[in-house]
Amino acid sequence: MEKTIRCPNCKKITTVFGNPGETKKVTCLDCGNSGKIIFEDSHGSISKDTLISVKNISKKYKDILAVNNVSFNIKKGEIFGYIGPNGAGKTTTIKIMVGLLKQTSGELSINGYQMPEEKEMAHRFIGYMPQQIGFQQWRTANHALTTFGKLSGVKSNNLKGRIDEILNLLNLIQYKNKKISKLSGGTIQKLGIAQALLHNPSLLILDEPLNGLDPDSRYQVKKILKELSNNGTTVFFSSHILSDVQDVATKICIIDWGRMIKTGTLDEMKSEFFKENQIEIILSKKSDKYDEVSKISGVKKIIEKSSEKFLVNIEKKADSDEIINEIIKTLLNNKCRIRSITPVSPTLDEIYQYYLRKGGINQ
Amino acid sequence: MSFSLIFADELKGFYKSKVMIFLWIGLPALAILIHLTTETYEGLPISYITALIVSNLGGLISAIMLTVNIIHEKDRRVYDLFLIRPIKRWHLLVSKFLSVYIIVSIACFIAVSLGIMIDVFESQLLLDVFMDQVVDLVIITLSTIAISSAFGVLIGVISPSIVAGVIIGIFVGQYVIMIPSIPGIFGIDTSAYLVGLIGIIVTVIMLVLAILLFNRKQF
Repeated sequence: MEKTIRCPNCKKITTVFGNPGETKKVTCLDCGNSGKIIFEDSHGSISKDTLISVKNISKKYKDILAVNNVSFNIKKGEIFGYIGPNGAGKTTTIKIMVGLLKQTSGELSINGYQMPEEKEMAHRFIGYMPQQIGFQQWRTANHALTTFGKLSGVKSNNLKGRIDEILNLLNLIQYKNKKISKLSGGTIQKLGIAQALLHNPSLLILDEPLNGLDPDSRYQVKKILKELSNNGTTVFFSSHILSDVQDVATKICIIDWGRMIKTGTLDEMKSEFFKENQIEIILSKKSDKYDEVSKISGVKKIIEKSSEKFLVNIEKKADSDEIINEIIKTLLNNKCRIRSITPVSPTLDEIYQYYLRKGGINQ
Repeated sequence: MSFSLIFADELKGFYKSKVMIFLWIGLPALAILIHLTTETYEGLPISYITALIVSNLGGLISAIMLTVNIIHEKDRRVYDLFLIRPIKRWHLLVSKFLSVYIIVSIACFIAVSLGIMIDVFESQLLLDVFMDQVVDLVIITLSTIAISSAFGVLIGVISPSIVAGVIIGIFVGQYVIMIPSIPGIFGIDTSAYLVGLIGIIVTVIMLVLAILLFNRKQF
C-alpha cells in the first residue's frame, strides 16, 4: 500500500510504500528531516475518508486519569456528538485534539497529520471554539474577527466580506462595532462560533457550543452545523444537552470518568438499548377487552399505565407493523375505541442514562 | 506576518488601556511636581533625580502591567484562540514585551524631557551642558524599563495568580532592576554604556527563559 505524506519542515510531498502493519522510517530528500510512518493493517484501519483517527489516547494529571484509552474514527462530513457528564473528560479530549494539551499516551492524527507534532499544519484547517471563550476585552467584535481571520490565513481582500457574511449568518451584524466587554454571554458565545467558522475550516471542533444560547440561537446554530455537514465539513462537538445532540449528531460517543462507554449512530444505540420493541396504545374510552391483545402472536407483555393507556411489549424479532395491524383488528373486534397507537422509541436521554449506569457498573 | 499583526494589536490594546492615562499624563505631572518641591541635591540637576524616580516608577509599572495582563489572559483562556492558529508562541510574549517597553519608554522620555527643559529654562544654561548627563539618563532609563518588562513577562508566565504575580513583581522586581548596578556596588567603575549592556543581557536571558517556559506550557 502507498501513503502520501507532507514533510512538516519543508512541506515537500512524498509517496511512501509499505505493507499493512509496517512502521517505516522516512527521511525527506529535500531537507533531511526524518520521522516514522505507520501503515495501518486492515483490522481497524483508517479508511481514506477518515478525517480524525484517535487511537488509545490517555491523559494523566499527576494521579488523575482524565482520559483513559479513548479511541474513535470520524469520517469526513460527519457530525460527531461527544457527550458525557461534567468532568467526564470531554474538554481534555478536545484540547488534545486541537494540540493545546499533549496526550500521555496514544496516537492522534487529523487529516493525516500527527498531533501534537504536526499541529501547525493541522491548525490550518481546524476551526475551534473552546468552552470558555476568551476574547481580549478592549477589542470590538470586528477587530477580533479581523485578527483571527488574518492569523488563520484568510486573504485581506476577502476578509471584510467574509466577516459580514458570518456575522449575518449568526445574527450578530448589529454587534460588529461593539466592544467585546459590552456584549452579553450568549453573544460572546456566538462570536466564538463566528471566529471558528471564519476561515471556512474543513474540521470544526466545538466545545459545548450551544451552552448559554437562547432557544432561537440554538436552533440557528444547529441548522448551520447541519448545512456545513451537508457541504462536507466535519463537525466534532461536545455537549451535555442531549436533545441538541440527538437533533444534529450523525454519530455519538458517550464518555464518563475518562472512559469511552459507547460509540455509534443513534439507531445503533437504540437497537442495542431495547431488548424488545414497545407500542403505546391509548383508548378513547375505558374497556376491559384490551387484554385480548396479549393473545396475539409476538406480544410478550401488556403493561397498564392507566385505565385508557397501556404499553404492549413485543418481541424484538417480531414484525412490529404486522403486530400493530393485528392489535388494531383485535381492538376493533372487541368494540374498543382507539385514540392512538404509537411505536415507542427511546430518547437519547434514556439511552444515555442506560449506558452511564452500565458503564458505572462495569467500572 | 503573524508577529507584526499581533504586535500592532498589542500596541493598540495597551495604548487603549486606562493605565496609559497615568503614564502619559501622570508621569510628566510627577516630573513637574518634583521640580516644584525638590531642592538641588549635591549640585545634580533636578532632571537627574526626576529621571531616576521616573525610570524606577516606569519600570515598576511596566512589570506590573505585563504580569497582570499575561496572568489575566491565561485565566480567561485568551491564548487558546491564538494557539490553535498557525502562529509561534513566542510572538505573543515578545509582542507584549515590545509594546509595553515602547509605550512606557515614551512616557518616561516625555517626563524626563520635561524635567530637562525646566532645568535648562531655570538655570539659563545651554542644553549642551546637560547633554552627557541626558545620554546617560536615557540609557539607564531604557535599561531599567527593559529589565522590568522582561521580568514582568517572566512572572506573568510563571505565576499562578494575579495577587502572587503582583507581590513577586513588586518585591523581587526592585532587586532585579538593580542587577546592572552590581559592578558599581563592588567598586568597579561603571559607565552608563556598561549598565545598558548588562541591561540588554539580563533582559534577553529573562525573555528567553519566559519563552521556553511558555512553549512547554499546556493550556
